[in-house]
Formats: sequence, structure tokens, C-alpha cells
Amino acid sequence: MFRVVGVVGAGTMGQSIAEMLSVKGLDVHLVEKTPEKLQQAREMLELSLDRQLERWAITAAEKKLTLSRIHMEASLHDLAKCDLVIETISEELDSKKEVIRQLDDILASDAIVASNTSTLSLTELAGVSKYPGRVIGMHFVYPAFRIDVVEIIRGLQTSDETFGKTKSFIDHVLSKKGVMVYESPGYVTTRLICLLINEALHLLEEGVASPEDIDDAMSMGYSFEHGPLEMADRFGLDSVLAALERMFREYGELKYRPSFLLKKKVRAGQLGIKTGIGFFKYDKDGERLS
Amino acid sequence: MNILVINAGSSSLKYQLYDMKTETAMATGRVERIGMDSSILTHEVAHQPEVREVSEILDHTTAIKKVLDMLTHRKFGVLRNISDIQAVGHRVVHGGESFSESVLVDHSVKLEIRRLFDLAPLHNPAHMMGITAVEDNLPSVPQAVVFDTAFHQTMPPISYLYAIPTVLYRKHKIRRYGFHGTSHDYVSQRAAEFLGKPLDQLKLITCHIGNGASCTAILHGKSYDTSMGMTPLEGLMMGTRSGDLDPAVVPYTINKEDLTLNEVSSMLNKHSGLIAVSGVSSDMREIVEAMNEGNEKAKLAFDMYAYRIRKYIGAYVAAMDGADAIIFTAGVGENSDVLRKAVCERLTFFGVRLDEERNAIRSSEPRRITTDDSEISVLVVPTNEELLIARDTFRLVKNKAGGR
Repeated sequence: MFRVVGVVGAGTMGQSIAEMLSVKGLDVHLVEKTPEKLQQAREMLELSLDRQLERWAITAAEKKLTLSRIHMEASLHDLAKCDLVIETISEELDSKKEVIRQLDDILASDAIVASNTSTLSLTELAGVSKYPGRVIGMHFVYPAFRIDVVEIIRGLQTSDETFGKTKSFIDHVLSKKGVMVYESPGYVTTRLICLLINEALHLLEEGVASPEDIDDAMSMGYSFEHGPLEMADRFGLDSVLAALERMFREYGELKYRPSFLLKKKVRAGQLGIKTGIGFFKYDKDGERLS
Repeated sequence: MNILVINAGSSSLKYQLYDMKTETAMATGRVERIGMDSSILTHEVAHQPEVREVSEILDHTTAIKKVLDMLTHRKFGVLRNISDIQAVGHRVVHGGESFSESVLVDHSVKLEIRRLFDLAPLHNPAHMMGITAVEDNLPSVPQAVVFDTAFHQTMPPISYLYAIPTVLYRKHKIRRYGFHGTSHDYVSQRAAEFLGKPLDQLKLITCHIGNGASCTAILHGKSYDTSMGMTPLEGLMMGTRSGDLDPAVVPYTINKEDLTLNEVSSMLNKHSGLIAVSGVSSDMREIVEAMNEGNEKAKLAFDMYAYRIRKYIGAYVAAMDGADAIIFTAGVGENSDVLRKAVCERLTFFGVRLDEERNAIRSSEPRRITTDDSEISVLVVPTNEELLIARDTFRLVKNKAGGR
């Protein structure tokens, strides 16, 4: 079973995945392009652990142990020893292809390459690899350490062995529920949640209800932890927009067309938690202010 | 007969090798950081320097193999061949209602321990890995399991039931089980020997005060009531555990602080007790040190800790309608004369007369710390759970061989 895991991309999702893997006792190698981004990721990881410490979820010793298992790496070449590499860079086809192509020459032949893509074609990504059988999709839901479901996506050429190993890793090592999905833009989670968010935005645009009331209605009415607008703020409005646009293109159906309000917000740079403002305001720890 | 005693945790494993002719430990040691590439094996033989070896130990099977290699090592070992190990005894935390005594491992015992994973999710799976690992390395050697809960299976329903809907007991076996059973059992036997009276005529209160802490009322040699409950969280205040509290505090806190179940459970198990009240440490020595330097929060933590032990002693005197002796054991109980003094000084109502000089003496032997005219004797009896595990294993293996 995998013990040393590489994570490519130390953004919000990459940090969250790295933290979750380390808490499960795995050695994690987290790769980012620039030293500044690596440093920032390290600080964010510490901040995340400090917040859990404050909430009594972990002890100081556990925090230290978790951090000690996450190694910051500046190059993909540092991943040579990994049994599994999870790619979670930004959702751009060409950059993802480049990472997968480069990993061909770095990893051992029995290693597995997983992509955390939510809307791109896994078959297309795998197509650039010399070993498409070992490429699979592993779609985590943010925050990865709290949400216990992972979509496992089989591309056309993903081998049974790759699928079997991945599934048993998710079930037994990560103790999460692995849901098998076939390739389709947005799979289950992204497709359904983005539609809900988009519809909430239509409600807002039409002046049917205030942002607070829309969120309260859904979170209290249907036991969501956060309402659809706060969810969008937490995912990042740019990510939501990108996912909707891709699904709109792929399916060609109007229901996926992103709301104008969403586009406007993104153009204004109000991207949600990461910029401190989206549909609601947030402090630097990501706590909602209003 | 040589018996290997094993206490397997999820990423660690402690061992002791006993020569049962003399009941002495020939070697002791531990493996830490199992599952990582820099695991540490520490091995100790009496009168010899400690040996440390760092290597990659990925699972319990490899860990046991390393231990066996060390025990038969040309230089550091104490055995010529691994066939010199005639039996293995394991500590298992939770035996549920299925096990009221130690048993030899067979297929059905393993199934039952697996079935109990739910009740002890942190411990039993690790113990199981230890048992499997021994099977892999020593396939024909008999193994015994000794349960922390077994000794307390003699408790009557008035002690073990919680006053909540009984369907919860029937469906999920929610009840008091109690822990540290091996230790309470062992020190009560030693105490009876020390007092020179048969155990089945004594009323004893044993206080196992270590990192975890529990009190047991032992009526005529049998556990009658104990302070830990379904899990080791109930009862006394501990190093990092809260002990008794109003159960309504839990949902109230979850609501007020927006906590998840994991967070509140970690708060009560790892962030409460001495460390929470003192803000200094979960270690009694450091608490006493801080208290002596005038730290008021440390003093408060210490006083609460001692007060709660006294309350349980009072409760158990009432439960058994009297007591012949109170016994202190385990890390804090054996070593902190300050704590014993704080507890005993205010039990005069029951006729406890502490002898301060006796209390201050350090020793690894059972001893009395009350005056000769004290109505209730207070004893300090060093515990030795590993020895009891070895003895049980020895007895079970011998009986089986004799029965053939």
C-alpha cells in the first residue's frame, strides 16, 4: 500500500489534501513552483493546525508530528520515491498535461498518478502519458480532512489494477468512502453543487431573497453545513465560474450557463474567503464576519 | 518456561520476556514509530546498557520479527533460539462482556476481539495486529490474551448499568466496563499477602493513579464497582482527561463552540484534566513543582485531583459498608507522597491515620503508610501488569498441556 505520497500544487486544495494525508500517518511531499508559494503553503498549513489546536481537535504534539511528515519540495524530481502522486494544480488542461507528462520519467513504473480534476477529461489527461493505465482521477471535496467522500474516476484506459489499489487506499488507509464514477464533466459532486450555487445566484439576481436568507433557508431547511452562497465563497468564486463554464461548454445546456452576477464578482476580484469578500465578508482565518 | 508479554499499540509495541521459574524479566523493550522508515527499537537487559536500533519497520509483523531477532542476538540477546519462547501473552484493553478472564487465543477468540473493535476503536485493532504478527513469526507458539476489563466483569448490575433507556444496553452494550483490571487485580492480591489475610475476607479500595486513573471497590476479592465507565474517560480527574462531568455539558459545548464530535471527544480526552486546569502540565511532578513555586492554578488542579480521589474513596467505603485498606499504585500513586498525603489527611472520619515518615519512604516493595493504630490501613503497592499477564499465560498454557 502507498506510504509516500506526492502532492503537486500547494494551493487551497493541495494544502488540505497534504494535511489530511499526513494526519493519516503518510509521508507527504508537497510540490510548488516557487519558494514563495511553498513558504505561503507552509504558513497556511500551520495556521490550519493552530486553529484545530485552539478547537481542541489536536494536541501540540500531534501538530508537530503532522507538520514533520509534510516535506516541501521545489521540483517534481523530488517525487521519485513516491508510490502515489496526486496532482491538484489549477484547473487548466495544458498545465495538468505537462505535469503528467513530466511524471512519466520521474516515477517508478508501479506508481500511480491521480488527478484531482473536477471537470477536465481524465482520458485526455491520461492520453499524454506513456503509461495511461496508471492514471486515475481522485476528486476530493474541500476541506479534504473533514469530508469523507472521494470520487474515483476511471478514464477509458485506467487499468483495473490502478483502480483496485486506489479504491483500497481510499477505503482502508484514508478511511473515506470511495465513490466510483465514470468520466463525465463535473462527475456527481461538482455537477450538482454548481447547479445549486448557480440557481441561488439567479434567485439573488431576481431579488427573490437576500443572501443571508437564501443561505439560512437552505442550510437550516436541508441541513447543509453552509448555504450555497457561502459554499461558493469557500470554494472560490473563480473556481465555481470555471467549473460552470466548462460544463456549459461540454453539455451545451443553458442550465450550466454561469450567472452574470458570478462573472461580475470574479471580474471585481471578490473571490470569496481567499480575498476576504465574496457574497459575505470573512476574516483572515476564514471565519465569516457578516 | 519463557513467556513473551506484548502490549501492542497502533504505532508502538512494548515487550517483556519473563523466565517463569523465577518470575523475573530477562529483557524489556519497545518499538516506536511503526509504519515509518525510522522506527526505533529500544532493548534493555538488566545490568547492561540500553540498546537502540533505528530501522525501517513498516508493520507489526516486521516489528515482532525485529524483537525476536534482538532477543536472540549474539551480543544483546538473552535466548539462544526463538524456540526458547514457549508462550506469548498479550494485553487487550477491551474484552466487553465476552471475556471475564484471560483465555488462550483461538479462531473464535480472535473473531470476538474483532467484534469488540467498536467499543475500543483505538486499542483493540492494534492488539489484533500484535496477535497476527506473533502468529506470522511464531506459528506454533500458544498465545493468551489478558483483558483490562475482565477483572471488572464481577460487578453487579447496580454498579455497571447506566440509568438510561435499557434498550441502549441491549442493543449497543452501553454500560460500565472499567479498566486497569489487571492492575487492580494484581495489587489487591499483593495487598492481601501483605496484610496476612485471605483476600475473600477483605474490603479493599485500590487507586490506580497513573496517566490514566481509576479507583475500584474490591469486595471479598471481586470488583464490586470501579470509576472508569464504558470508556476510560469516566471517573477521576486525570492528566489530560476530564473524568466525571454532567453529560449535558457535551451537547451544550458542541452548540456554543460549534464543535464536531471528534473535536469534543479530543477536548475531553486530550485537553482536559490537570493540563486544562493548571495550564502547566499533565504530569503530576511538574504540577507539584509549580505548586511549590506558588502557581495558584497548579495548586487548584492538584487540589481538585486529590479531592476527587477522596470522593471516590468515600463513595466506595459506603458502597461496601466499610473498608479494610486503601491501596495506592501506578506512577503517581506509587511515587507522589504529596498526593497521597493530600488524599489521606482528610479521611480521618473513616479512621485513617497517616504516618508522614512512612509515607515519605521510597521503595519498590509493598508498604504501609498509616500508623499502626489506624483503623483503615493505607498501602502503597507497586503494580506489575506485565507479570500478571505472564502468570495468566503460564497458567493457561500449563493447564492446556496438562489436560491433554
